[in-house]
Amino acid sequence: MCSLHTEEKSPVTTATEPLFDSAFLRKLDRLTLLTRRALLGDMQGERRSPRRGSSVEFADFRPYALGDDIRQIDWNLYARMEKFFLKLFVAEEELTIHLLIDNSRSMDWGDPNKLDYARRMAGAFGYIALSSLDRVTVSAFGAGEQRGVTQLPGVRGKRGAFPLFRFLQQLPVSSSGNLVAACQRYAQTARIPGPLLLCSDLMDEGWREALKALSSRPFEITVMHILAPQELEPQLDGDFRLLDSETGTPVEITADDDLLRRYQANLSAWRSEVEAYCNARGMVYFAANSAIPVEEFVLAQMRQRGVLR
Amino acid sequence: MSLLAPLALLGAAILGPLIIAMYLLKLRREERTVSSTFLWQRMVRDVEANAPWQRLRRNWLLLLQLLILALLVLALARPFVFTEGISGRNLVIILDRSASMGAVDDGVRRLDAAKARAIQLIDQLPDGGRATIIALGGLMEVPASATTDQRELRAAINAIELSLGGTSDLAQPLTLASALVARTEQSEVAIISEGNVTVPPDLEVPALVSFFPIGTRQDNVAISAMVLQPGVGSQTLFVQATNYDPSTAVSRRIDVFLDGTLFNAYNVTLQPTSERSIVVEVPPDVQLAEARLSGEDGLPLDDRAWAVSRVGNATNVRIVGPGNRFLTTALGLLPGVQVTTVPTTTTTFDETTAQVPITILDRTVPATLPPGNLLFIAPPRSTEFFSVTGVLEFPAVQPVVGDEPLLRNLSLSDVSVLEAVRIVPGTWARVIVDSDGAPLLVAGERDGRRVVVLAFDLLKSDLPLQVAFPLLMANIVNFLAPGTGVESGVVAPGEPITLQLDPAITQVRLTMPDGTVVTPPINNNLLTFADTNDLGVYALELLRGTEVVAEQRFAVNLFNPNESQIVPQQQIPVQQAGGIQNAIAPSTQSARQEFWRWLAAIALVVLLVEWLVYQHSGVQAVWARLRGRIGQKKPL
Repeated sequence: MCSLHTEEKSPVTTATEPLFDSAFLRKLDRLTLLTRRALLGDMQGERRSPRRGSSVEFADFRPYALGDDIRQIDWNLYARMEKFFLKLFVAEEELTIHLLIDNSRSMDWGDPNKLDYARRMAGAFGYIALSSLDRVTVSAFGAGEQRGVTQLPGVRGKRGAFPLFRFLQQLPVSSSGNLVAACQRYAQTARIPGPLLLCSDLMDEGWREALKALSSRPFEITVMHILAPQELEPQLDGDFRLLDSETGTPVEITADDDLLRRYQANLSAWRSEVEAYCNARGMVYFAANSAIPVEEFVLAQMRQRGVLR
Repeated sequence: MSLLAPLALLGAAILGPLIIAMYLLKLRREERTVSSTFLWQRMVRDVEANAPWQRLRRNWLLLLQLLILALLVLALARPFVFTEGISGRNLVIILDRSASMGAVDDGVRRLDAAKARAIQLIDQLPDGGRATIIALGGLMEVPASATTDQRELRAAINAIELSLGGTSDLAQPLTLASALVARTEQSEVAIISEGNVTVPPDLEVPALVSFFPIGTRQDNVAISAMVLQPGVGSQTLFVQATNYDPSTAVSRRIDVFLDGTLFNAYNVTLQPTSERSIVVEVPPDVQLAEARLSGEDGLPLDDRAWAVSRVGNATNVRIVGPGNRFLTTALGLLPGVQVTTVPTTTTTFDETTAQVPITILDRTVPATLPPGNLLFIAPPRSTEFFSVTGVLEFPAVQPVVGDEPLLRNLSLSDVSVLEAVRIVPGTWARVIVDSDGAPLLVAGERDGRRVVVLAFDLLKSDLPLQVAFPLLMANIVNFLAPGTGVESGVVAPGEPITLQLDPAITQVRLTMPDGTVVTPPINNNLLTFADTNDLGVYALELLRGTEVVAEQRFAVNLFNPNESQIVPQQQIPVQQAGGIQNAIAPSTQSARQEFWRWLAAIALVVLLVEWLVYQHSGVQAVWARLRGRIGQKKPL
């Protein structure tokens, strides 16, 4: 008498329904990603860059040196000081938003499905970024087909929304996954650091190393810790042999009130531990329940925590 | 608590580990795939540290099953506790229901306490045990005989009522009980009484006899005698009160009521086991006197008594003959006898038996014999009752040997007779005084009539000059007008009333002391009524058609010193098997009360609980569905 069950899905999800309806997308149009510091970019964009550039926003003065563009000399200042000073302006560049999705088998579980939830969450986040002319890269790990990572190399602007959504919808379930290896590889290979959204259930012994690897580069990391309601409050009563969906490792339990109480205590202790670990490394931690609609989560909780505006 | 079959406990030693082992070995687990065993592993790690006992923790089903096992094994071991009572399989209960059991101790009637004790003994009977109930007091009754049906036994015990008449004589019940227990092993006799019983000295009961004493009080004052004696121009009321308490003197007041109104009250102080009498003149027209003892004592039954006046109830005796001074004088001396003399020439007798019950035919026999009882004196000719065949001269007077009521208190051996009629009586008659060849005095009863024949003329003997003559006449009149009790106005409780009635009487109406009116049947001109168990005054009305022709009253009083003696005894001298001389209360270790049925019942309840626990989730689902349905019905 347990509502816990597995959805025997094919490894490749061919979800045809759209990730979001248009009303939600219009709401997302009004949101922008916040960054806590200026981040480097490749191309001209709408974000403040640490570089000096050609926007209208004044940044600083600098004494003239040979070879400088004489068009940038502040003649008013020369009239007062009789020295040449260059007037510098803040450069505005694009951001690169990193979306990391854990598509291991353990994510393809639960009702509502955790992987679906991760897809929609990444989609919403990516769409917000795209609408503010930022670059978005999506990577899904688990043991990737080639390099361990299935990747959508950067898309930019609202035109990129369609490839983004298509990629997310067609994202397969990885047969096996190694969170640590995937994160370490991504941290090493990512070209330009920027805001990073990690959607995972972190059900791996090496979650600490994985987060540590990501924090070694100046990403602005947001950890989306997604758990299904069946994991938060398992409805079990009786004797069970629990099988791990990834490894098949069995665990025999006799579920009674006492065991479930201890499971709850264990679960909340683990979540607090992850949250404390994230806070210590300047990451934003979100505990997400896949039963709470993505729309509500994005529009309410993420704005409240200052990730979006 | 002890066990009858302690070996059954071994069952627990075998089955208990078996149940636990089955729980430990239980391998069947439902398989479930979860996203990750990551969290579960973390937790199970510390759980498995002290497995396998952990698996048994908080397992309600196992606990309940072990509890059921324990209860069943305990029930099979047949535990019992020692109680006061009996241990035999064949039980004979002799339950005293005599008047003394009407005594009240602390608000509980002794008979009720005895019944409760009897039912307790029935409850203690082992399975298949038989019991017989014998009611002692008055006529012995056996309301339940050798039955195993406990419901029947209880009903029989509950139906026993006080019997005020008779005595508490154990002879008959003990004889019957001896016969019942002699045949069966493991028999026991239980006597439930206050102990004031008569015990046959020579009877040995072939089983154990236990005596369950009932009652604590010993104070009792009774009205032990009460008579309303007619005198000349007045009546004398005699009331006697007796204190049966062996140790305490007591002061009581006796209220005397005459015809329902208070006449006087007398304060009497009674020493232990002593009596006081009151003699008082009362007016001649008083019909009914009642005496009541005020206050309360152990036995309320004997605190009231009634006496009925006999004035106006004189027995009419008619003498048909030439006249006989001796006869009229002797009869006139008898109390309550009204003598009328009619001449020999009378041929028709119109009076009914009720009006003139006795007719004396002195030296004459009319053509038609008068109704009622007859005394023939020297009949000159044969009648339907006897034949006259001649004359005896100087017959020798030979009274019969034995206890003959007509010859009570007198001697006829000195009587000389000059001449007697030789009579040949019918088979109805018994000879009372014989002589050579023919009887001198015969008496008997035929067709409901009593007849006495004196074969010689009183004037031709010296009998009228002897002391024996008035006594003989008194005895003859008593025989012809028998003391049914109704005439004397006093009847003992339970004693049947028989009354010779005139054929003209068509119906009899009897008003009982409690006011109910019954019409006892008349059989062959004879009224018989046996339901006189209630104390009080009975009013008898004789009806001819619808007209009341005669009224009589009689009182039923408990004048029984044996029953008024309510001091409870601690033992009864009953000889029994094993040479025991006294029946005493059994010790508290004598009987076993088993209670395995209760254990089995609890086990059944626990089984039900176990089933409910097993169906726990199913029940929950049904409950949830029910709640959902109720929720739907609610208006939103």
